[in-house]
Amino acid sequence: MTIGITHLLVVSAALFCVGVFGLLSRRNAIALLMSVELMFNGVNVALVGFARFGYSNLRPLSGMAFALFVITIAAAEVAVAVALLLVAYRRHQTVQADELDELRG
Amino acid sequence: MLLATQNLQFPPTRDLIGLLPELILSGAFVILLMLDLVTPPSRRSLLAAVSLVALAAAMGAVVWGWFDADHARTIYAGSFAYDRFGRFVDGIVIASAALTVAISPDYLNRRGLHFGEYYALILAATVGMMLLAGAASLIVIFLGIELLSISLYILSGFAHTETRSQEAALKYLLLGGFASGILLYGMALIYGATGHTQLTLIKQSLAGSSGTDPLFLVGVGLLFVGFAFKVSAAPFHWWTPDVYQGAPTSVTTFMSVATKVAAFASLIRVFTYTFADSTDKWTGIVAFVAIISMVVGNVAALTQTSLKRMLAYSGIAQAGYILIGVAVSPDPLGTVGSLYYLAAYAATNLGAFAVITVLAGRGEDLDSYDGIRGLAYRRPYTAAAMAFFLFSLGGFPPTAGFFAKFLVFSAAIHAHAVYLALWGIGTSVISIFYYLRVGLLMYTRPKEGEETYPWARTSLAGGGVLAASAAGTLVLGILVFLIYTAAVSAQHGVLPVPQQLA
Repeated sequence: MTIGITHLLVVSAALFCVGVFGLLSRRNAIALLMSVELMFNGVNVALVGFARFGYSNLRPLSGMAFALFVITIAAAEVAVAVALLLVAYRRHQTVQADELDELRG
Repeated sequence: MLLATQNLQFPPTRDLIGLLPELILSGAFVILLMLDLVTPPSRRSLLAAVSLVALAAAMGAVVWGWFDADHARTIYAGSFAYDRFGRFVDGIVIASAALTVAISPDYLNRRGLHFGEYYALILAATVGMMLLAGAASLIVIFLGIELLSISLYILSGFAHTETRSQEAALKYLLLGGFASGILLYGMALIYGATGHTQLTLIKQSLAGSSGTDPLFLVGVGLLFVGFAFKVSAAPFHWWTPDVYQGAPTSVTTFMSVATKVAAFASLIRVFTYTFADSTDKWTGIVAFVAIISMVVGNVAALTQTSLKRMLAYSGIAQAGYILIGVAVSPDPLGTVGSLYYLAAYAATNLGAFAVITVLAGRGEDLDSYDGIRGLAYRRPYTAAAMAFFLFSLGGFPPTAGFFAKFLVFSAAIHAHAVYLALWGIGTSVISIFYYLRVGLLMYTRPKEGEETYPWARTSLAGGGVLAASAAGTLVLGILVFLIYTAAVSAQHGVLPVPQQLA
């Protein structure tokens, strides 16, 4: 058995779904953040998989460049997220998402 | 192999000129960050002035680009569209940013939030929106969305000592990241199905196929869900009221207007024009989301007691009306209607939020309905302006909102989607109740000895912004042909290759 696009897409979809499940089930903001990262990495696997094993008319460089952009931006997003979490933690001594719920309606 | 076939020289001058407005604002962003270090805290209004100059220069470049982009073309190897459609949206976004910057110094001073990063972040978000409006490649769309989102995450949490603001920022960040993930997965699948990230090439490779590749269809669905999050269309809207309420009002003013305009521009470019050959596959879903948004937005707004939440739900409903223009694709009238609606929505909604910003006193934001009771007897002009904006949101003539709704509904009828027009008209009737309720509260005389909210004194800049928004709303409601011709012209030039108006 050789590894092909199908295998990579299954891994990618699995990673993505783990991320979505984590976002829906977790309450800790750090865990939520990790779930978002899992979603992004699922996408990266798909992009690189398509670039390597996709249709013959496919432009491989676009997919790899796209994956690089996704990695970079995910890092930028985490930097902002951790800063925001620290500010919230300093005030509330917690990062549990369900304890930060003043906004309703 | 690929490297050899492409000409990889430094971007030629015409490419750089195509990005001139974005470059001006990016330069101003860096300058502002450095100026902030040497500006004493009491003189931070200077930074607002610098931002306004940069925005004016960028606006000049956009207007020049409007005439220069007469013959639409893509630049940077097909990843950025240099067309009138993009310039039209850029104009709205820059105007919204400028008006927001103009009301900000007074508001931030009263709230004790006057830091220099604020202006730099507003400019960064503006650049992101302009990139999004012109993006002709999936990569650039993603970059634009993230640039504007990350800047807005920080801005929503700008009142960093307040629980509400922190909570809004965290919610926005986590749900925004979730939406970006879905959007990205859609993009990856579309790349896998078509082999390209540039919209023109995607359109080309779709032209030969039947458009029934499951990879492609799932990709389109996920992409639409991601966009629906960003334009806050129901049922993907639940972050909107919380974030709008928790963020400082001046930030809400900016993000409620400009984000929606830019994201809709990209949505139209991708769906109506790139996936033009398979409209029958996805217009049904768009129409469904449009109807849900109109119903959920308008019905939920009825029960609100917070001005910002009411306007947030009203924004969700407006997103539904704008989506009608997408749902009637490939009818070019739909795009024209949506563009007109975006301009009208920008002028009106910016005005309504600006009123709340300008009136906010020290400490807590002006937010509850009680806070606006009796406004007309203390601040007659501001109350009149607010009433005018509410009339426009409700769609009464002779305001911008009336013609925007008229154009979108007539596009629906023109495309034989009468049911969309009927849903739109029906839900507009509901909306009149909650707009009028706020309007009547302002004109309710406060009881003898009753305390009213300590409204701030309207400064010259604040009054100017309200006057400008009101003028915009009035012009869009009376001199319809001005913006209508511009919207038609923008539709004619939109890349990738548009359908022509008959």
